[in-house]
Amino acid sequence: MPKITISNANIAYVCEDDTLARAALREGLGFPYECNVGSCGNCRFELQSGEVVHLRANPPGLNERDIARNRYLGCQAQPKGDCTIKVNLRDNYKSHHLPRKTEAELAGIDDLTHDIREFRFNLKKSNLFLPGQYALLSLPDVEGARAYSMSNVTNLGDEWHFQIKRVPGGEATTNLFDKIKLGDTITIDGPYGMAYLREDAPRDILCLAGGSGLSPMISIARGAAASPVLQGRNIEFIYGGRSPKDICGEGILSTLEGYGSRIHYHPAISMPEGTEGWTGHTGFVHDIAEMLFGANLPNFEVYFAGPPAMSQAVMKMLITAKVPVGQLHFDQFY
Amino acid sequence: MARVDLCKTSEVDEGSAIRVETGDLLVAVFNLNGAFYVTDDTCTHGPGSLSEGPIVGDTVECDFHNGVFNIKTGEVVEPPCMIPIKTYPTAVDGDTVYIEV
Repeated sequence: MPKITISNANIAYVCEDDTLARAALREGLGFPYECNVGSCGNCRFELQSGEVVHLRANPPGLNERDIARNRYLGCQAQPKGDCTIKVNLRDNYKSHHLPRKTEAELAGIDDLTHDIREFRFNLKKSNLFLPGQYALLSLPDVEGARAYSMSNVTNLGDEWHFQIKRVPGGEATTNLFDKIKLGDTITIDGPYGMAYLREDAPRDILCLAGGSGLSPMISIARGAAASPVLQGRNIEFIYGGRSPKDICGEGILSTLEGYGSRIHYHPAISMPEGTEGWTGHTGFVHDIAEMLFGANLPNFEVYFAGPPAMSQAVMKMLITAKVPVGQLHFDQFY
Repeated sequence: MARVDLCKTSEVDEGSAIRVETGDLLVAVFNLNGAFYVTDDTCTHGPGSLSEGPIVGDTVECDFHNGVFNIKTGEVVEPPCMIPIKTYPTAVDGDTVYIEV
């Protein structure tokens, strides 16, 4: 059982059949991370003694200077024996619900749009998560785990739902959409992520989503609608797609108590050509948010998820609008 | 405003920085040509520690994602960071570097 010693924190933990970051998180330690798949580089650590091997060869989250400085990625590095590392642990990365690996059976599917499908899994070993968090799914015949955000809220932890957008030619979503059948089993590892619902934030809530960013934002909205301490808060939900066939979410939100009074849905499309009869907004998510809420934006707790271009534009708009950084919650997957 | 003592001037070599943790604060203390500047240590983009980044002129590069900040003003000089780093009014009293918070 390899023992990992964090030299600058005087802490040691065991890492068996696991990566250095995830084993630490399972112990409740605040090992910095974000994407968990080797891309973002947030989980870099310095290897001072011992030997590790990366799950994913040449992960994009590591550059040549890192390699020269003997730095590795915590989410990818598996120990080959005892190791001593240097990493700055931080409290904000500690897990509220410790991540665990479990088998899960596909119990239900529903198409939400032409390319977004909801997958509902029953976990063999229940575990809780916070609205907005994500999990790593290991799929049969797909190398490496993939990160997907949950779309539901759970008090029992036995059901985890995911709304996933098909990536044309993508290995993982092709497997999920076309091969896995009801009753099949995959491995789910989670929960992870810091973009979870802040129930202690005394502000109205703005959710901005595009594409597969739907899933965590639906979870946030569901969690906020159900939260006793957030009952007085408005929930504004903007969902953007290219054309009307990409738009969804209203059917789910309209089942929440308070829909139409304190919960509002604002669909937006970015390519209006040939879509006569469209009654929603036309424009990008960040522009619609600015148009609808303008000078009031700093009064919101803002959650956002979507493709990188959308997230970057949203981030830039919110910073320009002087929304305090502590009120922004998103997964930094790149 | 309260005075918070951070370190001795001799602890920070010219052209370098150290990380200081005190109370709720986690800051980087920079020595630029004998003048001291203090910013938050944690990059505004990720968990990178600015006190560990290379210093060029008045700027520091976060060695996690290569974003660059102006040490004196906190402004972003190079992406991916978009949010300025917080800076603190810094002064020296005898051989003690302190900030006002």
